[in-house]
Amino acid sequence: MYFKGINSYGDRGLVLDFGNETSKSISQEVNETFLSISNLNLQSLNIIPSFNKIVVIFENSKIRDQNKNKISMKMKDTNSQTNKKVTKTWEIPACYNEDFALDIKIIQKLHQITKEEVINLHSSVRYYTYYIGFMPGFPYLGDVPSQLITPRLATPRVKIPARSIGIAKNHTCIYPKVSPGGWNIIGQIPFDIFDLQSSYPSLFLPGDEVKFYSVSLSEFEKIRKYNFSLNELIKEYSS
Amino acid sequence: MNSIIITRAGTHSTIQDFGRFQYQHLGVSPSGAMDQRIITELQKIIPNHQNQFLEFAYVGPSIKVKEGSVKICVGGNCNMSIQKNNNSQLECQPYKSINLFEGDELIIHNTIDSVYGYIAFEHGLGLEPCLNSYSTDTKAGIGSINRPLNDEDIFHISKDVSSWDLTSIPKPDLEKVTNFKVYPGPQIQYFSDNTIQSFISGVFTITNQSDRMGIRLKGESLISSKSHDILSEGILPGSIQVPSDGQPIVLMRDIPCTGGYPKIAILNEVDISRISQLPPETKITFDLQTIY
Repeated sequence: MYFKGINSYGDRGLVLDFGNETSKSISQEVNETFLSISNLNLQSLNIIPSFNKIVVIFENSKIRDQNKNKISMKMKDTNSQTNKKVTKTWEIPACYNEDFALDIKIIQKLHQITKEEVINLHSSVRYYTYYIGFMPGFPYLGDVPSQLITPRLATPRVKIPARSIGIAKNHTCIYPKVSPGGWNIIGQIPFDIFDLQSSYPSLFLPGDEVKFYSVSLSEFEKIRKYNFSLNELIKEYSS
Repeated sequence: MNSIIITRAGTHSTIQDFGRFQYQHLGVSPSGAMDQRIITELQKIIPNHQNQFLEFAYVGPSIKVKEGSVKICVGGNCNMSIQKNNNSQLECQPYKSINLFEGDELIIHNTIDSVYGYIAFEHGLGLEPCLNSYSTDTKAGIGSINRPLNDEDIFHISKDVSSWDLTSIPKPDLEKVTNFKVYPGPQIQYFSDNTIQSFISGVFTITNQSDRMGIRLKGESLISSKSHDILSEGILPGSIQVPSDGQPIVLMRDIPCTGGYPKIAILNEVDISRISQLPPETKITFDLQTIY
């Protein structure tokens, strides 16, 4: 148990505090707690998990105070902490072709490794989805092998292509759409991961496990042409 | 069928409602009207607004009825007039319903001593919600219309005006507030007592680098005694975050979903609406509440 307690965030928010450290096991507790308090049907506007905090937002202080007890009770009820596993395990095709790997040379140079080594290392690990943030559907995945840990670009790129795979510090990510950003871009995936037409628009959810596998440019183009819907992607690439 | 055409979009015209909730954990900002007091008032005059309000800032839009007729009401403090289809000019006022007929053009010149204004349309604007809300987040490209309004945009309103009776409410008392009561933020302990004192006693100026995402303030530098870089965590509108240059930013409706700067304080909900109406160069102060 990393849970430290519940603090107020202004007059209408709460912060569930899980300390100041970060690790996969802390995130697992955060994301399990996120699921269990999401199931409480609180009168909340938003419940936002991150590395070691969960922020819960209410319309006003009265509703906040009424709901705070429900959360406290749930946090004390240790029996309910074991949630059924609802997270998914993903195998995601990734094309590390030079057309997409805009910054792979930075990583090669920093760690004195070959392009193949970067690809093998990046696709060797089952990443944990710490949380979704920064932009709609953007997953913070980690941790990357130590030989890939690379600082953010000194000058952020103005336009990162949609579906790009990036590395910054010990995290890796996928940009759901075109965006400015400072991550080192090493490849691209062949489908969209955020779909506004879907009632649950984000492919990845906090707690999901994600592994990449390298595909050729022709395989990438082939998958791209399928134009999978989110539901089809779930069937095809997750278990 | 009734339809309107935007003859001049204005500078920052978007569709907004009371906000898009339950999606912030997927990286989707709540958005919603900057001044929610005004759309709350407009509901009294146009009850069947379908949550499709047109928000404008500084320079308002001009709207012409292309076909049929519509009933609307404007909220906020603004200069406006109607160019009738027979070329006569008609005076009109906010918070009074307006009937517009084919060829009539409503011209909203500008907001006066404030920033945001709103138009409510009876039966809405014929839009479909996106993730359960009509609000536009232009940066994320999310909304029933996922961009600011453009000249020549056309809206179809299939239902006819229910009644030509004119309704109005007294102009709501949306007094201009420049002193804000704030609550301690989650990282107030990142600032020394002296710095907190400077925050409370200092005068801050609203800069023109302010938009729906945040209001940037200029004033005494609030340097953290710990760090200006925290691990990203969920944030809510009204939070006052302080990046490493020490100049605070009040986060507004199109908030980034998580943030990595320490938050010294947070405004209450109604003060988010109040502060949104203060034009650049307005000087403001903060009062820190200890009980929350």
